[in-house]
Amino acid sequence: MSAENPAEDRTGTAGGDPAGIRPGKALVFPGMSASPFTEVGKFMLVDPVARELADRAGEVLGYHLVDRFRDEEGAGDYSEAAQVAFLVNCLASARWAADNLGFTPDVCTGPSFGEKALAAHTGALSFEDAVRMTAGGARCMEDYFRTAHQDVVTHSFLRTPAERLAELFAEFESRGEFHEVSCHVDHDFHMVSMNESSLEWFLPALRAGGGMSLYTMRPPVHCTAFGPLRARVEEEVFAGLTFHDPRLPVVADQDGSVLITAEGVRTMLLDSFVTPMNWPSVVASLKGLGVRTVCVAGPDALFGRVPVTRDAFEVVPASPAVAMRPRSRPRRTAAGAGPARRA
Amino acid sequence: MWDETFETTLRGFLPFLGEDEELTPDTPLRDVGLDSLGTVELLAALERAYDVHFQDDALSLETFRTPAVLWAALSALIHQAA
Repeated sequence: MSAENPAEDRTGTAGGDPAGIRPGKALVFPGMSASPFTEVGKFMLVDPVARELADRAGEVLGYHLVDRFRDEEGAGDYSEAAQVAFLVNCLASARWAADNLGFTPDVCTGPSFGEKALAAHTGALSFEDAVRMTAGGARCMEDYFRTAHQDVVTHSFLRTPAERLAELFAEFESRGEFHEVSCHVDHDFHMVSMNESSLEWFLPALRAGGGMSLYTMRPPVHCTAFGPLRARVEEEVFAGLTFHDPRLPVVADQDGSVLITAEGVRTMLLDSFVTPMNWPSVVASLKGLGVRTVCVAGPDALFGRVPVTRDAFEVVPASPAVAMRPRSRPRRTAAGAGPARRA
Repeated sequence: MWDETFETTLRGFLPFLGEDEELTPDTPLRDVGLDSLGTVELLAALERAYDVHFQDDALSLETFRTPAVLWAALSALIHQAA
């Protein structure tokens, strides 16, 4: 707890308006989506901040990040190198937005994987520790899901409002089958974890009600059953990390609470393994804080585009693709060409 | 072959297809920029333009694989509604 923040409680959560801040702009680090080298490789090789961060990440990892990312493109969209590359690209995109768009956020948030980038950007973790957390977490997950919950998947779908979702969940219950919301993306857009065998009846039932099935994730994400994974990551990875109070207020992606302490950010990152992500609650929290503009920093095909975000804010995209557009790539300032100090 | 409304609507969701490039029946829509969220936005746009409602098997990403597959599914819905 910090004496400067009387609203803060012992968990590092502040209600309402922490420290008298009246933010108007929020930086959003997106959840991870497939971001292949063919789409972001040029940015990683050309952008000076991305290059420097990739080099620093390589020193932590013991291998050349860009080479590994490029050479292992067939290893899956969420390999260790792909995850660290996504982290690098998000942080470099935020710096690009600061240097080229003059975007200076008052508050920061990051749904799902975006939590990792926000931890580094706000200084809650050093960049090197954020790389250790990302790579170590990826290794733990790969090992954990090699034997645990092999029958569980997370399926994403939309055009399914709450009433229809309740009907589908009633069907799960009548069948006695496991189901749990892992991500609330929008008011009619969810990701639900279930046994893979449930998809056989679930998909036709979903479509019969007008729902649109998108994709199935394996391994699954954000599920209360993953307590052993959370404990393992805390013991094997987080024990070696040093957390600091974030330089910006952080809005937690699980419930929209405002975090201003090292412990608050650490707990948010660990709880992410076992607690659903709730983007509409983040949007509501940001609106309550007075946010009008959000900059989505990193490769994003989702959070800056869903109606709940578009209806609430002016959205400024700052992705590697935007940064590489010739017309929108002004010359970097001398200060911007230096080390990625924020990270 | 599809009508002009379909061509115009579909092209609006294909950022990687140049204005002068031909949209062929077998053009892989994902390759010309139709991603998951774009698919859902396109679906809603087609429902509004043709006053139809996609449901059941039509509500899968497979329906949006190529212009030909999508037009076939849409044509069936238009026929049902007529």
